[in-house]
Amino acid sequence: MEILRTIFSEPFFVTLLGGSLTASTPIILAAVGENFVESGGVLNLGLEGMMIIGAFAAFVVALITKNVYWGLLSGMFASVSIAVAFGYLVIYLKVNQIVAGLGIYLFGMGIASLLFRIIFGREFPVVQGITAKTPIPYLSEIPYIRSIFNQHIITYISLFLLPVSWWILYKTSYGLNVRAVGEKPIAADAHGVNVYRTRFITVMLGGLLAGLGGAFLSICDLSFFVDNITQGRGFIAIAIVMLAKWNPSRIFYGAFLFGICQSLTFGLQIVGLDVPREFILMLPYVAVIAILTILARNTHLPGAFCMPYERE
Amino acid sequence: MIVKKIIPAIGPIFAILAALITGGIILLVIGLDPIRAYSELFKLGMGTYLGITESLKRMVPLLIISAGLIIVFKAGIWNIGINGQFLIGAILVGWLAPLLINRTPLYLSFLISGLIGFLGGAIWVIIPAMLKAKYEINEIIATMMMDFVAFNFTSYLVKGPLNAYPGRFPQTTIIHLSKRLPHIPFTDIHIGLVVGLLLIIAAHFFVRRTTWGYEFRLLGENKRTALHAGINVQKVIFVGMLISGGLAGLAGANDVLGIKGAFQAEWNPGYCFAAVPLVFLARFNGIAVIPLAYFFSFLMVGGEFMSRAASVPVYFVHVIEALMLLFFSVIEYIQKKEKLFWKS
Repeated sequence: MEILRTIFSEPFFVTLLGGSLTASTPIILAAVGENFVESGGVLNLGLEGMMIIGAFAAFVVALITKNVYWGLLSGMFASVSIAVAFGYLVIYLKVNQIVAGLGIYLFGMGIASLLFRIIFGREFPVVQGITAKTPIPYLSEIPYIRSIFNQHIITYISLFLLPVSWWILYKTSYGLNVRAVGEKPIAADAHGVNVYRTRFITVMLGGLLAGLGGAFLSICDLSFFVDNITQGRGFIAIAIVMLAKWNPSRIFYGAFLFGICQSLTFGLQIVGLDVPREFILMLPYVAVIAILTILARNTHLPGAFCMPYERE
Repeated sequence: MIVKKIIPAIGPIFAILAALITGGIILLVIGLDPIRAYSELFKLGMGTYLGITESLKRMVPLLIISAGLIIVFKAGIWNIGINGQFLIGAILVGWLAPLLINRTPLYLSFLISGLIGFLGGAIWVIIPAMLKAKYEINEIIATMMMDFVAFNFTSYLVKGPLNAYPGRFPQTTIIHLSKRLPHIPFTDIHIGLVVGLLLIIAAHFFVRRTTWGYEFRLLGENKRTALHAGINVQKVIFVGMLISGGLAGLAGANDVLGIKGAFQAEWNPGYCFAAVPLVFLARFNGIAVIPLAYFFSFLMVGGEFMSRAASVPVYFVHVIEALMLLFFSVIEYIQKKEKLFWKS
């Protein structure tokens, strides 16, 4: 009884809901970007590496300039520069996407850790006092759910992106081009769509959003940087895109579930339940595997998925 | 004839050189001395008895893991969760081997421990293997997720129920030096090296010379053809992933029985990050894996020595490994283009 009462207490709900939205923001951003990339027929396995690089660059710049937005911008810039390399490799050079993706993942992980050691040695600095949450008036005072309306501005933007990117992908001519390029590149080419350029732009967009997600993670969510900071979030984002069946607005469910699993750690600590930390840390990954097992029986992949396009 | 055998080696050598040069440029940009770093790397890693011995020891897990990877990669199955399968195999052996060694003859207990490691790794890959075989769910994602589960799970086990020394640094019961894998006569290298070499050669001939291996190759080339040829694709995927996971677990057994003597907390050697580029550079050829495995383990060992001597962080080696993979993929593209050019 005591446990139930604490679980349904107000602080628990506030921590859980607010924390979940914050934790799901990097996943939403990365997954929305990956959705565009995959709809265009490219699998970006380097997503994790791009997020790590974004997180690192953002952290360093935010620490130096004491400004969140410079941090976020440089995170995006760093990630896009890697995305350019990835896009060039897989679209123009037609390198195996899995090999190139894994290469980018390993490179991102390695270079961020290397540079972190070079710059900070054995110190672990923290960005403090530069991020502020933007409460929405009145709504952020409702008991139990108030923390939902007291988030960082990037979180609101990422939530707003979900329907917008659905609209772009399924209701605009640009979105139609992207999907055509992913489904039947030959036909798209015959209609005068530049297959290479369309794909390249989606990869850059994917890199941009992955970088923003990573940057948000290091400077807004965690406010520090560690090796392998994303802890598989990039791969989880890829899984969520597949589960959402390339419909950006469905990404929210998967991302929010991940967020709940993440913030359960703090929530349960507040309640005082003693579950081994490792089990709670495992939760998101177990959840992904469980949902993959239950739901993803017959996902439909874009027709030209993972296939380089060779113009005759 | 000899020329024909050397040509395939040109790609990997170019990739390695390009990666080393780019790595040097990166060092220069971040203000370190690349010449000093590389001379320390090669001097300490290849020029000393300790460096060579350590490299040969560290080569063993890479060989065992690569033996599994060449089989599945050849079939186009991407088992990326090697690290997790390794950890599960290692912790099972770290837990059970000390119990076995006290109760059974030493060599029998090595054999059983190896089997336990293999089973541990294989069990850890069952779910991704089933998802891939039955529902074609991306195995990269699934094995990667299992990786994170394995890391947290083994971390819980070694800090909790399997911790043999409560109150001190958490680890399983340390196996006495005299009860670990024996050394190859006249060397300081344990017999794991022999096992590793035998396994990689066996895997090489399994893929190239046997009917089963042919099924893997056919699946890798074209799934539709494989289906038409009447191959049980689901079975091939399932068995292949189990073998590669099992071999990763066996590598874990090797590290516990031959090198570490126990499963320690916070231990995650991350062999996947070396094994995957290495297997690609070898073009899934088991014989080519052997020199490359030595080179990669030299990089790991030399990188650790270098980080102390020239204060270049170990992560530099990860960057070089990633660059090798990227450059190699580009070189493959150029070579393919050239072949077309000569044909037309």
